[in-house]
Amino acid sequence: MILIVNTTNDTSVTDELKKNLAGNGAEAEILEAGSLNISPCIGCNHCWLKTPGECTIKDDYEIILKKVIHADQLWVISDTALGFIDHKGKNIYDRILPIATMYLQFVGDQMRHVPRYKKLPDLGLIYLGEAEKAYLQRWNARAALNFERKSLGVFERNMVKEAVACMC
Amino acid sequence: MHVLIINGSPRVKKYSNTDKILERFTQGMCENGTTFEQYEVSDRGSWDRIRRAYMENTCILIALPLYVECIPGLLMEFLETLSPKNDGSGMGFILQSGFAEGVQLRCGEAYLEMLSGKLGCEYLGTLVKGNNFSIRFLEGKQREKTIGPYREMGREFAAQGDFKSEACRRFTGPEVFPGYVRALVGLMFKTVAKKGFAQMAKSLGCDKPLDYRPYS
Repeated sequence: MILIVNTTNDTSVTDELKKNLAGNGAEAEILEAGSLNISPCIGCNHCWLKTPGECTIKDDYEIILKKVIHADQLWVISDTALGFIDHKGKNIYDRILPIATMYLQFVGDQMRHVPRYKKLPDLGLIYLGEAEKAYLQRWNARAALNFERKSLGVFERNMVKEAVACMC
Repeated sequence: MHVLIINGSPRVKKYSNTDKILERFTQGMCENGTTFEQYEVSDRGSWDRIRRAYMENTCILIALPLYVECIPGLLMEFLETLSPKNDGSGMGFILQSGFAEGVQLRCGEAYLEMLSGKLGCEYLGTLVKGNNFSIRFLEGKQREKTIGPYREMGREFAAQGDFKSEACRRFTGPEVFPGYVRALVGLMFKTVAKKGFAQMAKSLGCDKPLDYRPYS
């Protein structure tokens, strides 16, 4: 399953995704998260040490978390700020912490948290507005590495077709 | 020199590892007359005051924990409200993380250099150090062992005016651990560390195994 989370208020991008996905045969679910109530992670670590696997913040993010653990791919659509994704986009990644456990292991030559679930998604990013694309590509690859998964790529708003080609 | 310090941790001051680090850093920094004022981004009620201080000060340090390879969403939300300065101000960073190896923080560090430019400030460098997860769970000498070395880095910043010295570079420690250390630490992760995490969890009132799957 491909999970697409749109953190912007622009639904034209998801309309275009739907059209392009129609002929692609992939099972995709689109969540319009622009109007959802999603707070930033406050770093309490309760999802690791007090209520394992559950976020202490009770808001709309739980909808996303319950779907992420069944997804083969997670695509985030985000607005941009200061050369990076904006805070609404970043919150989607920061709040994903409960899918990892507190336990640690080495994968290759670097420390990683032991995943809580067997299935974790590859990561893709579509961004609206101006950003430093080369940096976003580096960052997305590193973010995916945290889950021992791969980056599906980083795409500008006008590259929806190219992004859909990676959704299978 | 007067320094504006912004603690960019989303965690409230009382539990903020970054704040504990800043306590020692500022002790060293102020030994020879440098002064500072500090604000916490976790306190949304202070954001107007931080914005004013950002405009009024020319030496700005942002201290932050690494969140998913870059800056925390809450800090990003605050920074989005700032205007570029373009007045010759300098901006440096103290970047800390739970993971111990320097390589884990390099992607975040690269963004911080870019960020200072986006905010119209001269980049003063980033003090990079991991292995800080347990600070809030430690007490006395154990905590001091982790945060104490930041005092020297405070002295270094006061003397140099940036984090670009060899001493600051060395402060990070190893980029990756050698194979034999990884083997040893990997064994500790499966034994001593697991026990330590269980004790931390118990102290917080946890009644489930730490690998519990609530949504399976």
